[in-house]
Amino acid sequence: MMVEGQAETGIGPAIATPRRGGAPAHGRSAVARARRLLHYLPLLPSLFAFLVLLGYPVLLAVVISFQRMGLRELVQRTTVWIGLENYASILADPTFWAVAIRTLAFTAFNVALTMILGTLVALLLGALGRWMRLALSISLILAWATPALTASVIFQWLFDSKFGVVNWALTSVGIFGDYTNHSWFATGLSTFAVISLLIAWQAIPFVAFSLRAGILSVPTEQYEAARVDGATDRAIFRRITVPSLLPLFMILTVLSAIWDFKVFTQIWTVRQGGPAGETVTLAIYAYLKGIAGAQYGLASAVAVVMVVLLALVLIPYIRTMLRTQEDL
Amino acid sequence: VKPRRLRRIAVNAIGLVTIIAFAFPVYWMASTAFKQPGDIQTYVPKFVPFPPTLDNFTTAVTRPHFPDYLRNSLVISISTVVLALVVGLLAAMAVARARFRGRRSFLLLVVVAQMAPFEALLIPMYLVLRQANLLNQIPALILTYFIFTLPFTIWALRGFIAGIPVDLEEAAMVDGANRFQAFWHVVLPLLAPGLVATSIFAFITAWNEFLYAYVLMRDTANFTLPVWLATFRTAFGTDWGGTMAASTLFTLPVLVFFLLIQNRMVGGVTAGAVKG
Repeated sequence: MMVEGQAETGIGPAIATPRRGGAPAHGRSAVARARRLLHYLPLLPSLFAFLVLLGYPVLLAVVISFQRMGLRELVQRTTVWIGLENYASILADPTFWAVAIRTLAFTAFNVALTMILGTLVALLLGALGRWMRLALSISLILAWATPALTASVIFQWLFDSKFGVVNWALTSVGIFGDYTNHSWFATGLSTFAVISLLIAWQAIPFVAFSLRAGILSVPTEQYEAARVDGATDRAIFRRITVPSLLPLFMILTVLSAIWDFKVFTQIWTVRQGGPAGETVTLAIYAYLKGIAGAQYGLASAVAVVMVVLLALVLIPYIRTMLRTQEDL
Repeated sequence: VKPRRLRRIAVNAIGLVTIIAFAFPVYWMASTAFKQPGDIQTYVPKFVPFPPTLDNFTTAVTRPHFPDYLRNSLVISISTVVLALVVGLLAAMAVARARFRGRRSFLLLVVVAQMAPFEALLIPMYLVLRQANLLNQIPALILTYFIFTLPFTIWALRGFIAGIPVDLEEAAMVDGANRFQAFWHVVLPLLAPGLVATSIFAFITAWNEFLYAYVLMRDTANFTLPVWLATFRTAFGTDWGGTMAASTLFTLPVLVFFLLIQNRMVGGVTAGAVKG
């Protein structure tokens, strides 16, 4: 998510080089060179943060993934290079494959759920009257603003087997059968269902608001021109609204995929990957291997695999982003 | 006329269901927090907490270490904001106002850092902080959250600064102000709303963060509020009243802050993505 208020206008001549034309064409003086170096001074703290505080751990993750690194190696400060052994042992581990496939399926399901419902809510915002729209906006903001952790705790209370309001409601409606004392966290699939619902509940508002803003920013002249030409509502939606929103839709899908792929807090808070490890995803797997199991080398290899999988969607995304930001 | 009316009723009905679906979990949290102990664990739920009570809140805040958790969360979040804002503002000012070699590469670095999956960096971060003897220390979390929030801070502030016409500064400098005075008296007042929005975003990020706080802090006294809440099952047993009161207290500042900046949250991703 980004905060961005104003449009990127008014990028005039750079104030830091006010005497651009005045410098002599040849033999740049030491003063001029020093002035130019001054531009980099305000960047130094950030560069330090990116290259050292962030870059070093990234590098370390790659390096450690080629080492045997456990508590013993850590305490004795020894380095044991084992080449690709960590990767080999992950790829040979059937649990890893189950976890990886589960993570991809979980991500795909959540993204689809979020995007479909988010689009419907965006359209609903447009169809409602003023007061209903305001009420819906407020309830969406409530869900959006709720911290992931609080949401995870609330959903456990909603889906509590004995006194949960969901079981009471389902039983009262009647057509779903008797849900008295039904345990939602007894099987992996059912636990995932609750977690997916929880993730979608928090992610839909952002998607809906973004799409709604996108719909509103389609130039009205296009609609008017189409209407003058005798286009039906359906044709206008299909020929104008959908194509203009496609880039935005793509961005939202990629962002949702990134967020859902690496989600940790909700899964961990709800059942720590249980029951019986059935809701362990890659993020949880890396945590269990690395922090809980103290197999740092192995966990780093898992992390590297995660980053590579993410990069497959991230690199095209960053490319598109660079293309749309003409200022870059 | 009839089908139109029917459509209107249907749309409003769907609207009402959607409103309830999104608002109810938050309402249920607050409602449970204000309920009498006997009204919480009932087979037929009681929807309105009447007569309301503050007992659950008392239970929550009088749990051992609660003041510690609150203090840790506040110290860490505020330090993160200050650090990210100072460092980020310097860089944002430079990339928004000056043109120099490497500017594009720097911005690319910011974008990549913004996308970095911090969940995957847990292990190396843990090892680095362990080497630096910072495990189980408050500064470890401040440093970590600073790195998390810096890319976004630079990116957002750069956008806000770019929106302020450079002519204003130049006019001030023609009138004899030096560069610092021009910034202080001209840019800063105009930048204030952007600074507030960016700080709130950084604050919420740090306040909500769970994974790193959970892994890096060992002593109970060094926990933050999210870590405390996540372990509510051991902390509160099945005391849903206390749990929901604690959740409400934790969520309230986020809700208030979020409402303040909500308008600015949507634009960023949307900007430039709709073909005009």
